[in-house]
Amino acid sequence: MGVDKKVVGDITVCSLGGEININTSPELRRSLDGIIGQSAKKIVLDLDGVTYIDSSGLATLIEVLRRIKREGGTLHLCRLPDKVRSLFEMTKLTKLFQIYDAEETACANF
Amino acid sequence: MNAGEPIIVVKDLVKSFDGRRVLDGINLTAYKGETLVIMGGSGCGKSTLLRHMIGVHKPDSGSVTVKGKNISSLQEEELDEIKKSFGMLFQSAALLDYLTVEENITLPLAEHTDLDPDIIKIMVKMKLELVGLSGFQDLKPSQISGGMKKRVGLARAIAMDPEIIFYDEPTAGLDPIVAAVIDKLIVDLSKKLMITSVVVTHDMQSVFRIADRVAMLYKGKVVEHGTPPEIRSSDNPLVKQFIEGNPDGPVSFIQSGDDYLKDLMK
Repeated sequence: MGVDKKVVGDITVCSLGGEININTSPELRRSLDGIIGQSAKKIVLDLDGVTYIDSSGLATLIEVLRRIKREGGTLHLCRLPDKVRSLFEMTKLTKLFQIYDAEETACANF
Repeated sequence: MNAGEPIIVVKDLVKSFDGRRVLDGINLTAYKGETLVIMGGSGCGKSTLLRHMIGVHKPDSGSVTVKGKNISSLQEEELDEIKKSFGMLFQSAALLDYLTVEENITLPLAEHTDLDPDIIKIMVKMKLELVGLSGFQDLKPSQISGGMKKRVGLARAIAMDPEIIFYDEPTAGLDPIVAAVIDKLIVDLSKKLMITSVVVTHDMQSVFRIADRVAMLYKGKVVEHGTPPEIRSSDNPLVKQFIEGNPDGPVSFIQSGDDYLKDLMK
């Protein structure tokens, strides 16, 4: 599991990669903690590189969303691989997150 | 692993208890993503076979390979690691009465992971939604019905996102409608989450609702296996008797009178 961060204007884009599972979710949480802690208000998580995500990974993303909202920020997700998207659909999370097909549209819609 | 790959391979499995051979050369494979049903009457060895698959019993001879590892030869730590990829729904649901629904589902996550309690709380809510019990997290098992207990047991079985779920008589003691609900959940979870399911049951309605493949056990042997239509049209008299539920046939439930008379004279 890896997190690559870049800043585009006032938007922080994090590209997630690899497996997000029970073992790696705590590491993802710590990485995203750091980014939220830097007062980023507009955050995009690009999930294109995610090869697997389990319910601990989904729960971690939900918790991140909650915290960003509490801090007055906004979270967008983009480029969900098909398997990840079907998990989001099964767990009804497509209604909870703002999801975009491309990074550009995710950034343009803040 | 890709769909269709063998995930559990039972080879020439033999097990005896007190000189009585309970499993007598079982060969059986469960493939990734499928629902394999092991059916048979009481005492045919199906629960013993299940206990070998989850590493509770060790074979006298033969082997059980799970995800490429012979589980009977593993050290305890390695076996524990493999067991993390298992979920298990027991006949009785096996919930702890003094804990709430949420606490029951939390148990495996708190015990086996380093996840933050806030994350676990969210996961439990997601699992309860998957089994159709959102909002029931604060109730105790004594406050819910038998069917709901089974669903909580199922939510706990999927708590760790297992690759394989073992079900021991999942519909036993349930009315037909609740049994159908449990069957539907088993099918939905298997297909949606690509979980391999191994189900031990003697509920024939359930067998034909959930199985991708069926193996019938009789006296510790696999006497027939195939898809549900193949099993339904089998000419094997053991299978036919079992499906039709006939008291008379090759499956004997009654000891002979001679044994009884001899026993009286001992």
